[in-house]
Amino acid sequence: MTQPVLEIHHLQKHFGRFQALKDITFTVNSGEVFGFIGPNGAGKSTTIRTLLGLIRATGGHATIFGQDVWRDNVAIHQRLAYVPGDVYLWPNLTGGETIDLLLKLNGTAHTAHTDELIKRFGLDPTKKARTYSKGNRQKVALIAAFSQDADFYIFDEPTSGLDPLNERLFQEAVLHLKQQGKAVLLSSHILSEVERMCDRIAIIREGTIIETGSLAEMRHLTRTEITVTTEQPLAAADLPGVHSFQPGRHPHEYQFAVEAQQLASVMATLTAHGIVALQSTPPTLEDLFMHYYGAGKE
Amino acid sequence: MVGKMTRAALLTRIGFKRDRFRLLIWVVVLAGLMSAVAVKFVDIYGTPQEINAIVGTLKSPAIVAMFGAFTFTGTVTTAEVFANEMLVFMALMQVIMNLALSVHATRDEEDRGLTELVRAHAVGPLAPLTAAINELTLVNFGLGILYAVGLDLASMPGATVSGNWLIGLGLAATGWLFGMLGLVTSQLADHAASATGMAYALFGLSYLVRMITDVQRPRLTWWSPLGWIEKLTPYQTPNWRPLLLMLLTGLVLAAVALLIAQRRDIGAGAIATRPGRRTASAWLRGPLSLLWRRQRTILLGWLVGVIVLGAAYGTVFNTIGDILKTNPTMQQVFGGAMVHAANHHLLVGFSSLLTVVLAAIAVIPGLQLVLKLYTDETSGWLESLYARPVSRTRLLLTYSGLGLLTSTTLFLGGWAGLVLTGNASLTHAKDGITAFEFWQGFWGQLPVIWLFVALGILLVGWWPRGRVAVWLYLAYGFLSQYMGNLLHLPHWAKQLTPFGWIKSVPEHAVDWPTFTGLLALAAVLALLGWWRYTRRDLQLR
Repeated sequence: MTQPVLEIHHLQKHFGRFQALKDITFTVNSGEVFGFIGPNGAGKSTTIRTLLGLIRATGGHATIFGQDVWRDNVAIHQRLAYVPGDVYLWPNLTGGETIDLLLKLNGTAHTAHTDELIKRFGLDPTKKARTYSKGNRQKVALIAAFSQDADFYIFDEPTSGLDPLNERLFQEAVLHLKQQGKAVLLSSHILSEVERMCDRIAIIREGTIIETGSLAEMRHLTRTEITVTTEQPLAAADLPGVHSFQPGRHPHEYQFAVEAQQLASVMATLTAHGIVALQSTPPTLEDLFMHYYGAGKE
Repeated sequence: MVGKMTRAALLTRIGFKRDRFRLLIWVVVLAGLMSAVAVKFVDIYGTPQEINAIVGTLKSPAIVAMFGAFTFTGTVTTAEVFANEMLVFMALMQVIMNLALSVHATRDEEDRGLTELVRAHAVGPLAPLTAAINELTLVNFGLGILYAVGLDLASMPGATVSGNWLIGLGLAATGWLFGMLGLVTSQLADHAASATGMAYALFGLSYLVRMITDVQRPRLTWWSPLGWIEKLTPYQTPNWRPLLLMLLTGLVLAAVALLIAQRRDIGAGAIATRPGRRTASAWLRGPLSLLWRRQRTILLGWLVGVIVLGAAYGTVFNTIGDILKTNPTMQQVFGGAMVHAANHHLLVGFSSLLTVVLAAIAVIPGLQLVLKLYTDETSGWLESLYARPVSRTRLLLTYSGLGLLTSTTLFLGGWAGLVLTGNASLTHAKDGITAFEFWQGFWGQLPVIWLFVALGILLVGWWPRGRVAVWLYLAYGFLSQYMGNLLHLPHWAKQLTPFGWIKSVPEHAVDWPTFTGLLALAAVLALLGWWRYTRRDLQLR
């Protein structure tokens, strides 16, 4: 097993009395798209800024390419590409100039690939950055990141200002990076995007990682929605692992949620009642998300 | 139904709330300065002997160039001396305040997208600009009243109630007029820095016209709006006409601003931005070239401005350095050599005061560059740089290096402009500043300039939020030297800033041990700032 690209162990960050990060632990490997999800203010951007060496962790440890994120940040950034959530560009430079400058800062140059990206994303590079919309500013940062040949890519809510066409372009470009064996950390709250693209996911809440794993693994921790029609009347509300049992719109139609661990025994009961029709919906990431956040509120 | 000005009153209140701290600082400092000086004048220019001593000085071209030309008739009173020394100076302060406030209230708000947010509500299209006009009007009027009341309370000998009110309202109107000018340039330019630059260029032009006409032909000073304040003659024959002229000009400017605002799109300026380069040029390749690229127009503007200012001061060398004009009998009594020596002495004295002026001005853009390292940090611009292989040390060196270079170059440029034009204007070239004295003046002030820049570095590392402190310190340092003698400031009060730590040059030779000591202190401050800056969290949006 090769060394992970990013390793974070029990990272903590205080701002005065406020504890922004309490316990962050996860790893990102090569050839993997890692989703980092959580609501606003949960600590996503603070985590990323710590990883970039912009702010210094108060506790714990984080390395990228095996190097310390604070001490060795310049060496790390040589092989890293980053797109911030809010892109601030120098107002009196054009988009084209900004892209070139950002590439030069990494010792690379404007290539045919850059031109192709500019064309694909539909950016007018001759406009002054101050006249760009939020989406266009994001495009500038994305084009610079994608034309860089980095080993680790960090995107902090990169598509919040993009239209659906450009969002699709972004997803294609990220999958291309994955095929090339690059590591990608994608922070987002567009859950459909994360669901489609990410191999593994970490969920952060109030500065703590509360769940890490693949979507399939996480689904095991939650409930599957079942809609079933049986020959005989069913009274399954008291079965272990069954929740919110209620009759459907048709006779002998029932709806309920079942915990993954109890799925087999519940299915046996259903079969005994004679299944006429069965529809099962695996939990979406959104359900998972609500599950964790709903639980936290109680 | 929403009219063009709907909710302007509400926006005015919001404006006052938004600016409450900066307004408070300006009002307290300006009104306090005015009243304090008036009280002090009762003390230092109370007797006829004291007044006669200063009147001679006030008539000298050097003082006229800096403080304006006034005519004295009959017995001179304390109040008249006060009006001579303070009016032009306070007008400058009032204008600086107005330019800062006007651009801040309009173009700056628009740059940050706030105007768009406001305009999306049931607010008239001209309401934000009208609110800015209201705010400036009220602030200036309020300050004017405070000035008048302060002067009344100081009760200087020779002061009259109508004179006091004329001064208060005159200063208010001058400031207001330039505030309206700031509103016009805010409509013309498409971002705040450019609006400020345009307004300051016009302000600088008014100052130069005032200075040159004052020295050469005071009647022509009517051509500069800054000269009108001199025409009030508040304590002799109060003249209210200039006040009318100021108000009229201000009204015209306000109307122009409203007219342009009505015709332009939000976010855009009346002067359109052209498309730029598709790719970066070869030399735009790192933090330094980026910083230069962003700031070059402003920095070159400063350089031209400072050289022109120096040269303009130089044009009065001929008048100052000719003692025979004020004392024609000297030639017969003392002989030629003595006269030339006396001329030379006068010029060296004048130049020594001007090195302080030029050094203080040269510090401004350099210090701004150093502090920009922090404002860029909070504006989010540094995030893109620091995500690349760029170290904190490198960026700190970039900003402070360019800052030091800028301040040094500006000082050299202004000083050279002064000495070269000055010497060229002289009938007897040997009366002028020698090359040796020129370099003494340069090296003498250099450590002061560098100390202020180093202080900026220290603040960026340790206390960036308190950066206004260094500006106040610079302002005090400048004032304590510029006005210190006229105000009879005690020695220790002039010793509080680096300007007082060096011997006045080129009047005296450079004291090299002090020179070395101050540079070492600057290095220590800069190193402390660097140490902290490379270790602290960045404050990002």
